[in-house]
Amino acid sequence: MRILIVEDDREAASYIRKGLRESGHVADHAADGEEGLEMARAADYDVLVVDRMMPRMDGLTMVNSLRKDEDRTPVLILSALGEVDDRVEGLKAGGDDYLVKPYAFAELLARVEALARRRDPETVRTKLVVGDLEMDLLARTVMRGEEEILLQPREFRLLEFLMKHSGQVVTRTMLLEKVWDYHFDPQTNVIDVHISRLRSKIDKPYPRALLHTVRGAGYRLQA
Amino acid sequence: MARRSTAFLRTTAFRQTLLSAALFALSSFVTLGFVYAASAGMMLRRADAAINEEVEVLDQRFQAGGIATVNRYILQRTVGGGADYLYLLINPNGRTMSGNLTGLPNVQPDAEGRLQFTYRRPLASGGVGEGEKDDRTARGQIINLPSGYYLFVGLDVHEETRLVSRMLNTILAASALALALGVAAGIFVSRRFVRRLDRINNVARRVRAGDLQPRAPRTYSGDELDELSENFNNMLDRVEALMLRMRHTGDSIAHDLRTPLTRMRNRLDEALREDGDLEAREQALERAVADTDELLGIFNAILSLSRLEAGESRASIVRLDPADIAGDLAELYEPVCEDEGLAFDSEIQSGLCMLGDRGLVSQALANILDNAVKYTPEGGAVTLRLRETGDGMIEFSVTDTGPGVPDADRDRVVQRFVRLDNSRTLPGSGLGLSLVQAITDVHNGRFELAEGPGVVADGHGPGLRAALVFPKAPAET
Repeated sequence: MRILIVEDDREAASYIRKGLRESGHVADHAADGEEGLEMARAADYDVLVVDRMMPRMDGLTMVNSLRKDEDRTPVLILSALGEVDDRVEGLKAGGDDYLVKPYAFAELLARVEALARRRDPETVRTKLVVGDLEMDLLARTVMRGEEEILLQPREFRLLEFLMKHSGQVVTRTMLLEKVWDYHFDPQTNVIDVHISRLRSKIDKPYPRALLHTVRGAGYRLQA
Repeated sequence: MARRSTAFLRTTAFRQTLLSAALFALSSFVTLGFVYAASAGMMLRRADAAINEEVEVLDQRFQAGGIATVNRYILQRTVGGGADYLYLLINPNGRTMSGNLTGLPNVQPDAEGRLQFTYRRPLASGGVGEGEKDDRTARGQIINLPSGYYLFVGLDVHEETRLVSRMLNTILAASALALALGVAAGIFVSRRFVRRLDRINNVARRVRAGDLQPRAPRTYSGDELDELSENFNNMLDRVEALMLRMRHTGDSIAHDLRTPLTRMRNRLDEALREDGDLEAREQALERAVADTDELLGIFNAILSLSRLEAGESRASIVRLDPADIAGDLAELYEPVCEDEGLAFDSEIQSGLCMLGDRGLVSQALANILDNAVKYTPEGGAVTLRLRETGDGMIEFSVTDTGPGVPDADRDRVVQRFVRLDNSRTLPGSGLGLSLVQAITDVHNGRFELAEGPGVVADGHGPGLRAALVFPKAPAET
């Protein structure tokens, strides 16, 4: 993937860049919004990682300009401000996801990869398949092999998100945000408990596990 | 010290007093000067009139009998020294014929031909006060008679001029006194002013040097300086309170971050020393990452709390159904309780409506559910309830059968970073309940802690009942 990092803090930028490169991506860096806008227009990036507060042109203005040009490149906005209103503002300006500083690199990487996936022309899919696990989005049913698995509505949404991002690392915070719509981190390991419940339904009775724990990052559903 | 002792010279009060003293002195000087000019002029006019009368008399004598008659008249008048006037008759040869002056005064006449001069007693021919010798002031006129005779007629105005000059001295002295008194008053007033201001300035200087204790002295007179002191002190009280809070928060942050940081450092150190054992090294690094996440969590909690407390967060308050919030969280926490060996139950009343921010209310409720799960020992029970209270409020409550919070500590636990002794070993930032308090505050609600339903036996405490109480939404219009 080709990723553009627009961030005025050089140290933070080089940390993100190094991490993305080590994960096999190509990462470029722009030091402010104006430079970022120029570079984003000049080349075709898969994802833009844009800091909110920058000299010359701030991140929201930059994203806004891109969207006006009908540029749909997915944007992850980084910000030191972390309240709901800021998030809403960031998403309204055309950002696709919002990450609050300080964050763990694994969180950033997972979100960047999830955003890149979204870019695939999303035909209206009615069926998700990972290995021998199948989800029918219309009938709201889940099958593993020949057996139907009964899930609670929330478990269904959890599995749906994991299947849509199969092969990718999905963090606990991402699950809380996308499946439960909570933008805070509970002290207790609520997500782990729900994952283990899901696992006991979709994996436990079967010889091959699909839902893997990625240490220090989150989970990955992979055949 | 030199600066201090002359500091009053630069004060506004001193300058004002000095200016008014100078104006007062000037106006009294002008008034008295006018009186002086009027009376001095009157005295001279009276003397001149008397001289004119005598000149008239002498002129009549001259018309009647010539020089000889005039001479005789003068001799008669001056004999015995009792004359009111001063006379001198000089012949064309320049010799004195008669008169009580020793010679013509050697001064220039003024515009009206009057001569003002000093002469010396005793008088030329046996005048009054023999033996006395004093310089006296006189005024007179020289008349040129035909055939070269000169006649001088004058009048002693010594007493009058002395009076006038004394008057002048008095006026000058009075003006000088007025000025001096004004200056003295200015010094007095401004010194007092400067002394009071200095006390306030001293307080400011000490505060600047880092001592927040001193306060400006109050007189309670209600004057502007007292008002300044009052405002100044109120400002210092506020600054001190903020500083204390900041210091406390800073200390607490330092204290709370030190533990996970030290732990992380030790783990990294350990990882460095695990020679060759890749798996042990990896585990140590993973735990260090988990420690970092804990630190980030604390930072985020501090950030949210500061923003909520500063009132910066414009929470997006909307009409919402509290049953949705309670239901979602019951669903989120039920498996967690089950995993921890706790019985979970929820009683949710539907059909209620409140104004709030879904995210914030959920977060507050999640925080107290977290606490219940964390502190209730295995075999206990956690209950989540949503109901409308008797006084028409909406109440989310979480009861557990854990150790509870002693009555004395209930106010304390909502403060930032306060952790009771028995919870120090459990993970947590000590910010959770402060955040709950801040969230209920933002919603004009209350956060209440009370004893729970548990029994004090079999290792179970009295339990805790934590409640979030919010006002009901007004009926939709």
